[in-house]
Amino acid sequence: MSYINRLKNSKDLVTPGTSACQGCGGELILRRVIQLAGENTIVCIPPGCMAGAGAVGWSFDSGLKVPVHITLLTNTASFLSGLSQMYKRKGRDDVNLVAVAGDGATADCGFQSLSGAAERGEKMLYVCYDNEGYMNTGFQRSSTTSKGSRTSTTPLGSVISGKEQNPKYLPLIMAMHNVEYCATASPSHMNDMVKKIEKGLEASKRGFAYLHVFSPCPTGWAYPENQAIQIARKAVQSNAFPLWEMQEGKFTLNLENKNPLPISDFVKGIGKYKDLTSEDIEEFQNLVNSRYQFIKGLSEIS
Amino acid sequence: MGKILEKRMTLTGSNAAAVGASLCRPDLIAAYPITPQSEVVERLADMVNDGKLNSNLVQVESEHSAMSVVQGATAGGGRTFTATSAQGLALMFEPYMRMSTLRLPMVMAIASREMTSPETIWCGHQDAITVRDAGWIQMYCENNQEILDMMIQAYRLAEDRDVLLPVNVCYDGFYLSHMVEGVNVPTQEQVDAFLPVPKIDHAVLDPENPFALDPMTPGSLLMKYRKSHLEAMRIALEKIDEVDSEFGKHFGRSYGGAIEEYRCEDAETVLVTMGAMSGTGKDAVDLAREKGIKAGLIRIRFFRPFPKKKIKDALKGKKAFAVVDRNVSFGWNCGAMFVETLAAVSDSAENYSCFPVIGGLGGADISLKHLSDCISRLEELKDESGRHATLWLED
Repeated sequence: MSYINRLKNSKDLVTPGTSACQGCGGELILRRVIQLAGENTIVCIPPGCMAGAGAVGWSFDSGLKVPVHITLLTNTASFLSGLSQMYKRKGRDDVNLVAVAGDGATADCGFQSLSGAAERGEKMLYVCYDNEGYMNTGFQRSSTTSKGSRTSTTPLGSVISGKEQNPKYLPLIMAMHNVEYCATASPSHMNDMVKKIEKGLEASKRGFAYLHVFSPCPTGWAYPENQAIQIARKAVQSNAFPLWEMQEGKFTLNLENKNPLPISDFVKGIGKYKDLTSEDIEEFQNLVNSRYQFIKGLSEIS
Repeated sequence: MGKILEKRMTLTGSNAAAVGASLCRPDLIAAYPITPQSEVVERLADMVNDGKLNSNLVQVESEHSAMSVVQGATAGGGRTFTATSAQGLALMFEPYMRMSTLRLPMVMAIASREMTSPETIWCGHQDAITVRDAGWIQMYCENNQEILDMMIQAYRLAEDRDVLLPVNVCYDGFYLSHMVEGVNVPTQEQVDAFLPVPKIDHAVLDPENPFALDPMTPGSLLMKYRKSHLEAMRIALEKIDEVDSEFGKHFGRSYGGAIEEYRCEDAETVLVTMGAMSGTGKDAVDLAREKGIKAGLIRIRFFRPFPKKKIKDALKGKKAFAVVDRNVSFGWNCGAMFVETLAAVSDSAENYSCFPVIGGLGGADISLKHLSDCISRLEELKDESGRHATLWLED
């Protein structure tokens, strides 16, 4: 079945009234993940954009048509570990246990519990929608914010302009936990993303599965909301966000760019990068090139 | 009948906690080792790995995750257990408070330890006392038999449909955790007869019954949750005594419920204690009695819910009391137990002569001499009503 039919034939399990920003990458990712996981699923969403948009419910109303729990910012993977073990114990291995978490809850203060759960091989699918910052609370920096980005805690000042450090490259760190499945995905490449969600769900029956998804954020990054998918596409085409997967220890580069877009094309029109100098862009380009070569190398040797 | 079936074993306090917990057949145990609690995890791991205990044992990377894993498993309908001490308790504070406010019942042993700084690993009640207002039921043991017995009682209390609160069974680090005592270990059949299979279904995540567990909640609704939590604490105070007396019928041992009174009937002066120091306190009372001093002792067993009426009744007609705290309440120049004991008798506080005592911090000993000195001081001050200076039990 084509991915379009696959999506067409599965129910959208997010209730009406979800209040994500227009053009939100995270909401698109949430909907696709949960509709592919289906009704026999329990979802954990820590504080972040998707919780703030109401997916975890409000007062007496639920935001999803499947059971959902707002975990702590710090403990999504460990809460799900306990739930997952309990479901296995009850012989209900068929239930999908899924986390949909932002980069703050994943790469920053949620990282310890994530790393612990991955190391123990807890059976779940953990999806990180990486919008490179704490966008729900007003665009503060996270450890996945790219260098030079304007955030509300790394403003473009006259002395220091934007974030001073390069981001943590989390998906590779997760792959090194010997997880069952690890992949990157982008909503601009839906066919690839759908396959990876399905592989991740399948792998979550055997062990820990991790998906790191590029999540463009018009509100926080400052670009027109109708450009979200285009920006995600450029991120892939420029190798700023390479698409790869790891299963059974083998790395595969899913999309090889023969003629990648220059990084200067990717950053163009994105407000958070507006003060990047030509030196900054060159440094960004070098980082992207070396990371791409590194992943390509991994796919060739493994 | 219980005593005939039970097996007599020599157990450390932490081993007694492990054996007690295992007899309650937890579905899942998640724990992270910390001195002086580590032996609890080690003994449970022995039992699981030898096939003697059918529990999922999750060896987590931190106490924060220990509490989070058991939270997930309890929200999956399971009976869960963990144990910790001091810094571990501090690290798990975030999911710790959420466990009680989600009204998820479980039992956690705390091998009580002083809080750093100064750097320390030794005994004190500062860890558990500091989180006394996080919504858990907290009880403190005097000896290893009580540790084992209270594991069993604690699950019965926690899972009561009118309570549904998590319970801390606290016992003094090293003084109990590492001390070996003879302990009667009930049979599995005895425990099964006392402790039914848990029915945790009020907050269970299940695709067959989809709902949002803990959606964003406005203040007006949150207030109702807090009110019902406080009401559950009030009910728990009654249930503590019921469970203890029911336990007595099954096992031939009971502890007096929320407080234990020792030679209080005709006493003029009373020592108020908690935890392992209470045994020493009882010896001090006996020695005083031999000298004709009318001393008694109240051991506070449950600190949350605080048994204020029982304490008030037990102190009624007494002349003087001293409260021995193995913790401090910063800002009060005394321990937390003194503040709360005084609050319990607040409508008649002027009738009493009383003083706070602080001792045994960071593993320092609380000796027979210390507590005998407290009784002597009470005797001197018993007719001078009012609050007297804090007594520090120093060498």
